[in-house]
Order: sequence, then structure tokens, then C-alpha cells
Amino acid sequence: MHELLERTIKEASDYFQNFLIHEYSKKSILHKIDGRIKLISTVVFVILAVSTFNLNKVIMVLLFLFVISAITGLSLKKIFERIWLFTLFSYIVVLPLSIYNPLYGITFTLRVAASLIAIQILIMTTSFAEICSALRSFKIPKTFVSALWIAYRYAILMFRELFAILLARESRRVAKGSHMDVWRKGGEAVGLFFLRSFERAEKVQLAIEARGGNVVEYRGKIKKLDLIYSTIVIFTAFWWVII
Amino acid sequence: MHIPDGYLDLPIAGIFYVLSLAVLGYSIYKLKDEKLTPLFGIVAAAIFAAQMLNWPIPGGTSAHFVGGALAGILLGPYAGSLAMAVVLTIQCLVFADGGITALGANVWNMAIVNVFVGYYAYRALEKFGKSAASFVAGWIGITIAAIFAGIEIGLSTSFGYGLSVTVPVMGLWHGMLGIVEGTITAGVVSYIASSRPDVLEEKVTPGKAAIAVIAAMIIVSPLFAYAAELVGYSEPLENAAEMLGLTENPIYEGLLPDYTVPGIDPYAGTLIAGVVGTVIALALGYLMARYARTT
Repeated sequence: MHELLERTIKEASDYFQNFLIHEYSKKSILHKIDGRIKLISTVVFVILAVSTFNLNKVIMVLLFLFVISAITGLSLKKIFERIWLFTLFSYIVVLPLSIYNPLYGITFTLRVAASLIAIQILIMTTSFAEICSALRSFKIPKTFVSALWIAYRYAILMFRELFAILLARESRRVAKGSHMDVWRKGGEAVGLFFLRSFERAEKVQLAIEARGGNVVEYRGKIKKLDLIYSTIVIFTAFWWVII
Repeated sequence: MHIPDGYLDLPIAGIFYVLSLAVLGYSIYKLKDEKLTPLFGIVAAAIFAAQMLNWPIPGGTSAHFVGGALAGILLGPYAGSLAMAVVLTIQCLVFADGGITALGANVWNMAIVNVFVGYYAYRALEKFGKSAASFVAGWIGITIAAIFAGIEIGLSTSFGYGLSVTVPVMGLWHGMLGIVEGTITAGVVSYIASSRPDVLEEKVTPGKAAIAVIAAMIIVSPLFAYAAELVGYSEPLENAAEMLGLTENPIYEGLLPDYTVPGIDPYAGTLIAGVVGTVIALALGYLMARYARTT
């Protein structure tokens, strides 16, 4: 099972590094904008990027996203670091088709890149609490949004619990097993982990009830800065339509 | 299996948003009397953690666990699909893993098809032994979910490859990875069956009518996607009229004919017409709400 542990530790360290730093630490003007406006703007930018194969329009969306990021103080280098891998993957996927139609390959890849940048701008400037509040204010059911918030808050703790179970089993192991053994024993460890997660869920339920029940509430009013950002997004959409 | 933005055509993405929201909405409705929010949240966090395990497979490579069938077996199809939808939403909004426009399709594949197919495969085969049933449930759940993902991107003209490429690639690859998924699901279920068999008792499940509707939605969803692709953004009636060679002869053109403003560029006109229409609809809605409050 050591192989499972080693691989998982490596993967998890990358993943949690992302998890812990996804909320970009450097503050920008975009951080001050209401989560609802940023969420809607992200959807608008993604739709603008993926609803056309007109290269001019796709490049226009990309340019607007770059300009918005640069003006508001986000690091373009950081954004590039977060999107390059999947953008390259997308290009490789359509590479055989690009040989006959290079324009398709470029446009397809830039569409993916633009939508990834739009999502990264949201992720880098918005805490998950704000996103949950925004979803709640859009009337997404309370059960779902509260579950989102609980899952987000407990993800690291649950992983630590899973890891502790795997580590304990590994320390008691006396013989190296086959792949099948790893899957079977690992499956048992994950079974124990799920049973513990049920027990934790009961405790969390009692704690929520003791505190009054509400997990996610929306607070905040639309400010002047939100209206300015909304105007920029509407202008982008309008420009996209007329070019 | 997470489909990113840009791989799906918007009409197809839209169809799967509608289908997913219908099933998830019904699931929330069915579970409204049960205090399950922390259970969804914590089990979603547990699935999220378990997905991070990197299972070694022969040849030096590795595979990840998805957990859709397991979520169905442990929580039942309604709660299982909600827990998986929570996982997928966090992956989309925190890790950019899967696109925003493709979230509906990703939820459909991994939180609905995978969970419902896995759960009912398990229940159907349970009499042959929990371990064998959960292996098949894990394997078939992920394989069918992958085939659906292949159908969705294969039908989308945005993605240059057709169904003949996308379905076999997704289906065969996940059919092989599904062996790991099935084995882990079987390991988990066997352990729980021996230590806490009460967890595996029958859950809140759809009634006969509800399961018939959900099963029909799953079976017909590729046809919906195909129809959405055919219709695109144009009106089906306009397409039919064009095929029959009929011409338009309106009695009154309206203030904004064909959603345009006469004399202005058609795109800009459509945008203005849309804004005007939205404002009128909002104003009427507001007036009706005020009237309803005062009477």
C-alpha cells in the first residue's frame, strides 16, 4: 500500500497547495466587487468566449479579460501559470484536426483559454463564502448551498482523516501485496473512512442545530464599484455583438 | 471526465442544465423533510478526499476513484446525486475542474447517470452478493457516465471529432478504469456490510412513476442533445416553414420586428430589443406582484 500512499501524498500536496492558495492573496480592485456581480460576469464572459468560432470575437474577449486583469491589479503571470497546462492539452487534443484546418485549432484553443481565464479571475478574487452567498441570493436551494459550504470547509479535515487511516494500516502491514491487494485493502480503509464521515455528519448536524440552523446567509448591497464593473461587462458584450 | 468550457455547444450544455436541475430539484424536494444537509456536505467532502487517492495500476500508471455509484449505494440515489453535485460544483468553482457552461452536463454524467445507474445495478444484483453487486455497480456506473460524456462532446460541432471517435475513446478507456472503480467500490461496500450493515439498508428511492421518468430522461437525453444541436438557436417552426417553401406575410410588423430595431445593425438591434423586452417583463411582473400584495 506504500505506493498508494506515496502517489496520493504527491498528488494531494499539489492539490491542497491549489486549495489553500486558490484565493489569490494579493488584493485587487476586483476583490471589492460583489460576489453576485462577479459570478454573473464570469458566466457572461464564458458564454461570449464559447458561443462563437469567429476568431476576432474570441480574441476580443481574451483582450478584455487581460485588460481587466491588468488594470485591476491581478498578476497576468499567475493567471498564465494556472491556465497554460489545460490550454496546451486542449490544443493537443485537436492537433490532428488542426493539420487540415489550423484556424479551427487556434480558435478552439483560444476559446478554452478565454473561458479558463474568466473562471480564474473569479476564483482568484472571490472567497468561496462569497460564492455561496451569491448562489443563495440567486435562490439556489438552501440545502444545496449549505452542503457546498460544509463540504468546502471540511475537505481538508476529511482528507487528513483518510490519510491517518491509510497511514495506520500501512504501519501495520507486514507483507508487500499485489495491485489487487492494494485495491482491496485500500477499499476497506476507504470503507472505514466513510463510516467515520457519517459519524462526523451527525456531530455537525447537532452543532448546526445548537447554533440556530443557518449555515449560509447573504449580506451586502450593490455599490457604485459593482455598477461600474457591470457596465464594463455589458460594454464587452455589446462590443462582442457589433464587431 | 470533467468536460471543460468550449467543448460543448451551448444548446447541448443548456439541455443538460435543464435535465440536471430537474432531477436535482426533485431530489431536494423529496428529501426536504429530512435533516440531511450536513450529511451531503460531509459525505461530499469525504468523496472529494477519496477522489484524491491515486490508485496504482499495472504498468506504472494510476487511476482516480470517482465515487458516484458508491454515493448512490451509501446515501440512496437522491441524496447520492446531490452529494456528487456538491463535489462537482466545488471542483468547478474552486479548481476550475470542469467548465461553468458544462457543469450541467458534468452533473448529469457523474452525479445523475453514474449514481442512478450504479444504485439500481447494485440493487438488482444484490442477491448475488454485495461485493459482486457493488463491483458491477461501480464499473457500469462510470462506464455509462463516460459514454454519455462521449455522446455530448461528440454531438457538439464545437468539438471537431464525431461520435465515432468520442464514444469509443471515452467508453473503452473508462471501461478499463472502471475495473479499479468497481474493485474499490466493492472493497468499501464489503467492509461496511461487515461492520455497519444498517448503513446499506434501502434508502429513500424514487417511486415507480418517478424512476420511470428519470430513467426515460437518462435514456432519451442523447436524443434531446441531438435535437438541441439540430435546432440550434433558430425556431423549429421557421425551419419547418423554410423546408416547406412558405414565406412570411405579416399583418403587423410590430415595434421591434424580428427582435431588431429598424435602421440599426441587426446584432445591436437584437441586444436593444432584448433589453426593452426584459424591462417590460420585469415592470409587468413588479406591477402584478404589487397588485397581488394589495388585494
